Amino acid sequence: MNLQLKNLWIERGERDLCRDLSFSVLNGELIRIAGENGAGKSSLIKAILGWVHLEAGNLEFNGEDVTQHRDMLLQCQLYLGHTPGIKSVFTALENLRLYCPQASEEALEFALDQVQLGAFVDTPAAQLSAGQKRRIALARLWLTDKALWFLDEPFTALDVKGVDALEQRMSDHLSSGGAIVITTHQPLLSLAPKVIELVA
Amino acid sequence: MNYRSYFKAEWMSLLRRKQDTLNALLFFVMVITLFPLGVDPSADFLAPAAGGIIWCATALSVLMAVEGMYKEDYNDGSLEQWLTSGLSVTFLVFLKVLAQWLMVVLPLLLVLPLLAQMLFLPMSVLSVVMLSILLGTPALFFIGSIGAALTVSLRRGAVLMLLLILPLYIPVIIFATGAVRAAQMEMVYSGQLAILAAISLVALTLSPVMAAISIRASVN
Repeated sequence: MNLQLKNLWIERGERDLCRDLSFSVLNGELIRIAGENGAGKSSLIKAILGWVHLEAGNLEFNGEDVTQHRDMLLQCQLYLGHTPGIKSVFTALENLRLYCPQASEEALEFALDQVQLGAFVDTPAAQLSAGQKRRIALARLWLTDKALWFLDEPFTALDVKGVDALEQRMSDHLSSGGAIVITTHQPLLSLAPKVIELVA
Repeated sequence: MNYRSYFKAEWMSLLRRKQDTLNALLFFVMVITLFPLGVDPSADFLAPAAGGIIWCATALSVLMAVEGMYKEDYNDGSLEQWLTSGLSVTFLVFLKVLAQWLMVVLPLLLVLPLLAQMLFLPMSVLSVVMLSILLGTPALFFIGSIGAALTVSLRRGAVLMLLLILPLYIPVIIFATGAVRAAQMEMVYSGQLAILAAISLVALTLSPVMAAISIRASVN
């Protein structure tokens, strides 16, 4: 897997979020996008995924132009944003089943167990805290076979146990040849990230 | 996520949020019940007007149902997941509208025979009214879904949506009530029904594409 970003220029209103930004994402790499609030970290991920307009620049995935073959990138990636699509009318298990329909009941329960939600499998998400809802979304990381992850502030609202579990899962994914692009204020030094600093 | 799991989840979600469906149904029943009381409860007035009353109530109930169609998906981040799922957003829109249509129109058709009695609508015409609802309401839902998608990110988008959508509902109402009136006069009504079906087919073909573009723009 090889994602190349060349000379990206993203504008928000009258402001340049980034200009001439170039970097690559290769197997086993963790890219940490850092910067102050409003620097454009989330917008950069959205621009790569195609729903924020690029003023200029090239995006290539495995040698193919992403603007022409967007589906190829989308098929190979998993995106978890600030609001990760958790339905309050569904239980934790049902929410996970929606996004991972191929997974067995045992696998779904195992994934929820990994994010310390084993006791809340049948609890409606409406009755869970913000951190627990985020954990339901993060449980997808234990079930996915996608090689490239885009995680937008995944540590928000997580407690220490949640942060440790997520860091361990990210480490396992990188060891198995996957790649991660993450926006976070956590330094993640143990995972030796490549840091892209955006300036507000 | 795949299309099957999405449709199943959407259907379950609608079943669990019964109040939305019930609101539309209750509104439909209330309009048809109160209208005769406010105007003229005689059979001479109500029987010829029944088609128009039923169709106006139907259009307004559909508007109620579609207005907030994407709001929750927008707020909880589901629309972002649509855009990054690798699935066709157009087809996801189609499935969502299909689920909403089934959930709102089927109960409405179930209560219609009773309400038709209140409006002195002959049983022979009732089947035409039901057929016109079956053929015409898909257009209302699909057109409404464009407005809902366009205004999903706006805080007070309901009024704008009404302004955008209501003019597009007018042809559907005209041809549907035309079919009912023709049936009441024992004239041929298949032409009006065919036009209704054509409008629904055009809406079914174009509106998921337009709603998908609107969703992409709204989530940005």
